[in-house]
Amino acid sequence: MAEKIRVDPMALAFAKLMTIFTVVGIILMVAPAILYFMGQNQYIPLSKAMYYWGNSTVKFWKNVKGITVHGYDWVFKNLQYTDCQSMIGVILLMLTPLISMFAAIAKAPSKVYAILLLIASAEFILSIILKGIL
Amino acid sequence: MTAWWFWPLFLFIFTLVIGIISPVSGVGGGVLYVPLATVLTPFNVDFIRGAGLVMAVTSALSSVPYLLRKGLANIRLYAVIAPIMVITSVIGGIVGLWVSNALPNGKYYVKLLLGIIILLVFFIMITSKRLEFPEVRDEDVDSWSRKLGIVGEWYEPSLDRIVQYKIKNLPIGMALFAIIGFIAGMFGLGAGWANVPLLNIVMGAPIKVATATSMLIITANAPAIGIYLAKGAILPVVVVPSILGITIGARIGAKVAEIIRPAFVRWLVIGVLFLAGVLNIIKGLEGLGYLPHII
Repeated sequence: MAEKIRVDPMALAFAKLMTIFTVVGIILMVAPAILYFMGQNQYIPLSKAMYYWGNSTVKFWKNVKGITVHGYDWVFKNLQYTDCQSMIGVILLMLTPLISMFAAIAKAPSKVYAILLLIASAEFILSIILKGIL
Repeated sequence: MTAWWFWPLFLFIFTLVIGIISPVSGVGGGVLYVPLATVLTPFNVDFIRGAGLVMAVTSALSSVPYLLRKGLANIRLYAVIAPIMVITSVIGGIVGLWVSNALPNGKYYVKLLLGIIILLVFFIMITSKRLEFPEVRDEDVDSWSRKLGIVGEWYEPSLDRIVQYKIKNLPIGMALFAIIGFIAGMFGLGAGWANVPLLNIVMGAPIKVATATSMLIITANAPAIGIYLAKGAILPVVVVPSILGITIGARIGAKVAEIIRPAFVRWLVIGVLFLAGVLNIIKGLEGLGYLPHII
């Protein structure tokens, strides 16, 4: 029979939030994608995309939608389309480690760990914002 | 021309197979997915790398909570390494997309570099030892690890007791993690192939702790997804079938691992990895005009 081990309360808080948000993220990604594959409300028409998905991202978007993609606008401005709705699940998965880190900060065993996790969280947020601007 | 639905269906079956052989062989799914899908499917390498990164992060997110509760993944190590890897994986992602979009023939440079990295992974896999319970004496523990109290314990069923462990060489490990983060972000490869030997051999973590903590560290690569998303390099037609395939396949693979010979499968997969590395190098050199078209 397994003996009792001591697990960092910081680890348990991190694990709890990660479990919840991963499940929600996968559901939010897959459910609209099923409708997308069935041909419902496509922002990127699959019948056209198939001719260009071998191109670089820049050429792909130019040829399929006639636009240059820069930042997250293409997702948030087109949420009526199923493929863009599916990207919300991907975004939630991307943010899940950040949300889990916030939970861990609250249970950090010392100020050093709280500061390290705060730095990682700040970098996380900054890099996501920068990617939308650059 | 093949109907559009053929390729998502192909990706689903392809990742299902990768998902099955991954737990059996001990070779991470992401490291097989990117080089093989680049060669076998018509999708541009940018879309494959974007999907590879989402796949690596999602696989890690699914397994990490269990590993943390069992004491196998060390969150204190993660807290030290994450601030380094978040930044370097993002820089790697920017450089990767810049190379393939801004340079003439950029996608061929990426394929060539990817092939070289894959061969490097191949050599690490065939040469690195796996230390079940590395001995870390008190005097081996570096001052940073000591001050931060980076220790841990888990219940080991094969020994029927709780195993406690310590860590060494934290400053060297942090520098090496910076390099790994860059490569992982650039190629969307996941980083288990490098994290595990580094944690196990350089830093003295027991192999089970190294494997579990590696999964936890891979979650720090998540912001690099933003780069691919912001450049339009994440498409549901590539990402969704790949994630479904690898998730279902990994569950089947965990069962299969109990009944077949892992050593044989491990060598088979390492052979496929070698082949994928060579194919990517050949395709890169062909595209750049250094080789005539042979494949």
